[in-house]
Amino acid sequence: MSAATPANPLAIDVRGVRRVYKSRPHPVVALDGIDLQVEPGELFGLLGPNGAGKTTLIKILTTLLLPSEGTARVFGFDVATQTRQLRRIMNMVAGGEQSGYGILTVREQLWMFSQFYGLGTREGWRRVDELIDAIGLDDQRHQRVSTLSTGERQKMNFARGLLNDPWIFFLDEPTLGLDVSAARSVRELVVEWKAAVPGRTILLTTHYMAEADELCERIAIVDHGRILAIGTPAELRRRVQRESIFRLELDRLEGGSRALARLPGVVSASTAADESNDRERQAVVVNLVLENDAALGGVVSALGGVGATIRALRKSEPTLEDVFVELVGRGFDDAEPPGDGDQRPNADQGLRTDHRPGTDARSVTGNRPGAGNRPGGDRTDGSDRLRADPASPDRRRPDPSSERVEEELV
Amino acid sequence: MTTRSPAVHEPKFGTPAWGGFDPARTRGRGAADVRRAFSTATRLGWQMEANWTDPVLFFIYSVAKPISSALIFVVMIDVIGGGSTRELRGFVVVGTALWSFVMSGIAGLAWSILDDRERYRMLKYVYVSPSSFLIVLLGRGVARIAVGAIGALITLAVGIALLGIPISLGNIDWPMLVAVMIAGLVTIVAVGMMLAAVCLQTRQESWSYPEAAAGALFLVSGAVFPLSVLPAPAQLLGYLSPLSWWIEGVRRAIMPGVGIGALGGPGSIFAEVIGRASPSSPEIIVALLGTGALVTLGAIVGFRLSDHRARDRGLLDQTTGS
Amino acid sequence: MAAWARRVAAGSAGSPAASAAWSRRQALATDLRTIVGRAYPRVRAMMRERSWMFFEILLPFLATSTFVFVYRAVHAPPEYVGFVVLGGAMTAFWLNVIWMMAGQLWWEKSQGNLELYFAAPMDVMAVLIGMAIGGLILSSSRAAVVLVVATVVYGVSFQVDQWLLLALVFGLTLAALYGLGMVLASLFLMWGREAFHLTQLLQEPVYFISGLNFPIGRLGFIGALAISLLPLAVGLDAMRQLAFARSDYPKGTPSPAIEALILVIMTVVSLALARWMLRTLERLARREGRLSVRWQ
Repeated sequence: MSAATPANPLAIDVRGVRRVYKSRPHPVVALDGIDLQVEPGELFGLLGPNGAGKTTLIKILTTLLLPSEGTARVFGFDVATQTRQLRRIMNMVAGGEQSGYGILTVREQLWMFSQFYGLGTREGWRRVDELIDAIGLDDQRHQRVSTLSTGERQKMNFARGLLNDPWIFFLDEPTLGLDVSAARSVRELVVEWKAAVPGRTILLTTHYMAEADELCERIAIVDHGRILAIGTPAELRRRVQRESIFRLELDRLEGGSRALARLPGVVSASTAADESNDRERQAVVVNLVLENDAALGGVVSALGGVGATIRALRKSEPTLEDVFVELVGRGFDDAEPPGDGDQRPNADQGLRTDHRPGTDARSVTGNRPGAGNRPGGDRTDGSDRLRADPASPDRRRPDPSSERVEEELV
Repeated sequence: MTTRSPAVHEPKFGTPAWGGFDPARTRGRGAADVRRAFSTATRLGWQMEANWTDPVLFFIYSVAKPISSALIFVVMIDVIGGGSTRELRGFVVVGTALWSFVMSGIAGLAWSILDDRERYRMLKYVYVSPSSFLIVLLGRGVARIAVGAIGALITLAVGIALLGIPISLGNIDWPMLVAVMIAGLVTIVAVGMMLAAVCLQTRQESWSYPEAAAGALFLVSGAVFPLSVLPAPAQLLGYLSPLSWWIEGVRRAIMPGVGIGALGGPGSIFAEVIGRASPSSPEIIVALLGTGALVTLGAIVGFRLSDHRARDRGLLDQTTGS
Repeated sequence: MAAWARRVAAGSAGSPAASAAWSRRQALATDLRTIVGRAYPRVRAMMRERSWMFFEILLPFLATSTFVFVYRAVHAPPEYVGFVVLGGAMTAFWLNVIWMMAGQLWWEKSQGNLELYFAAPMDVMAVLIGMAIGGLILSSSRAAVVLVVATVVYGVSFQVDQWLLLALVFGLTLAALYGLGMVLASLFLMWGREAFHLTQLLQEPVYFISGLNFPIGRLGFIGALAISLLPLAVGLDAMRQLAFARSDYPKGTPSPAIEALILVIMTVVSLALARWMLRTLERLARREGRLSVRWQ
């Protein structure tokens, strides 16, 4: 992190921010001591489940909400006291927005907002027309806002967000409620804009793992109003996986996986069921956990020495949800275990050994619990669901909340 | 709408014993469904109407609004007109009190459409439920009429207590009152249905339409002055409006023997055409039923047409930002 | 997108601090543009949704006619028809203030637009002024039709001796009314759900104590109270005195010049109060998180 100076302030500088809502029957602590620094030019993500505090933090940074404690600055401007200056250089777009005047056309709606941001009348029209072309809403230019589809409306909102060429762009779950195609379209716009103007900063909140993984340079994982971990996606994944996990397809394997397990650098080896339906091409599938990538060479040599042919070799990596589960002990979609309501997750808590639901019991390996081993699986397909997570019989701990896992393990 | 009572032995949804789709569920239960939909909508409407965070404010609203309406006219006839009799004050106060019903009935259905479409975004969900959309709207409208009734009663009470209007419980013609009130309320709801049909189609700023419509009807309903004061074409509209017969019928029922009426009188087209000074009570009831039936029929047809057009143009789930 | 973004960025200031440092002229220009921008949807709506011509003009004219016929029925002096026609015209502005101004910020919050306004760099007062001007155009149409048609149809005869003062009083009345509307907009934003009910409460009771249908002086003490508190009462009374200068106007209310002064004070006070309230309430709303919570 570079040192901020008055001449080059941090894009976002949050220190000790707390936000408490006075509600009945008891106050809600939405943010519980947030410290966050974002450099200018970063595309920074806030990742967390619903109710984690992401939107609350964005509302504080966009001057819509005051912190109960702590300070927050955006490009050096205090969000509590220097709102006017800050509003001139930022913009925001939220997902699932229904805002807008239905009676106006897309062009008129955007022009109205251009006036709010101080653009001249003619300049406003010109910029609106250019933005509509750039965003790909040319066919909807003269269409009334009330008749737009969800995806088109969100593109219009995105265009609104770019009207004043913001130095910092806040995106609060921008793809919420959009279909795959529309969501991809919005993400591409984000990437394209960011690439074109590298000096601009984006703060993106999302609960979609793949989105954060794909877009963000650094991510903060948030839950219960606290930041549990910050890092690049790769750094975060390395927290939960210190070994290298590979899946090999072999034509044969003399001596079974136990022979491989005795090789140097191999933590565990196990055979998995061959999922292919090709009877003519029967393969032996082996899941390997190695101390590091370098140990792979020894395995390959050993296999060559016994005449086995490697048909396929894939490396598996944990996902951000695995990271989250490691930090918190549950998936995004899982309910909190009873009695955990008052607990605040500790970022330094370390690994959990709880077995997660959805494990594919057929692929039983000796990996360390918590690692997101997905035999044959590419995790980054945009799904939020927990994936199969193999665990060795002696290390796994069945999750009592998952009946399906119980059945599979028995 | 079919419902299942929570029987002990009913198979749990999704279990093998549940058996899957039951065609009987599509048949509905006729009058029972209508009753349930209506009562649920009425309950919902009342909760929304009575959902004031400050009961004192609700009380002020219920009292101040109708009484102010009556006082405007009392001042006009009493202070500016150079004085009035108890009977004349009674004429005006009863007319303005009854207009609370009209106002709330007309606004009730129309604002339910606007509320559900613009504020709560629930219109499409109500529409696609098995309950009749019209029944649900009627239920919601009834709740608002109840609020209007409170205002009317308070206005009459204040009129009796402070303005000396000649209403005495012992003199009320109850059978006539019940008959005209039932017929009149049906008519009011029908007019409300017409406004609701309009609001289904309009987009921007329709909130004031019910009041505007009520204000226009006020002119030709004999609520605060005899129809004979109007030019002949306007008088004709008044005689064709069921609201005129309704107000007159209620006046006859609660102030029998009071000589001042809105219908008939010197210079009226009733006197010229029929040859008598004013209609009798049975004539009032018959005219109310006849004109009311026509208006109700027209309202039902109009609402169906509007409903169809709204479906055709996708207006049911749009929000217009108004 | 990339080419557009690069071109726009190239034309902007070199740093966030420079971009944020607007001159007063720039800030004022933004607020003025905001006024135009926010008036735009209202004007556009008038042109696109034409049912208002029937509901906002014709029907209110008929409602005003009711009061005309009441006066005819009680054989009131002929100038009273003129009083009620003028009152009917001013009703249009009052309804615009309470429906399109007072409750508007609350409606905007329900729609999700309010937080976009507060996150933008313009003054929210400019948004309110824009709303006022947009609504004024519609209300003026309504008022003009009621006035002209009723004057012709009912044979109203105006007797104006001081046109300039009449125009000034009319302008001041509108300024004071819309200033009050801005104050109410802030209050309603915080009162939330009650806004809708309160708007309705501001109709008939205000019609009565403002003397929309009769000279307020006839109400004695209540009239005096109304004149000291309600811009509508003051303005209407002054306009009636000026528009029917030679009629037998009831005594008991201040002269038009004094009422004009009262309107000036009301305008200044309401605009200052509106500005202070908007700022205070924005601070409160940010503290309590009410800018983007619906149904509150």
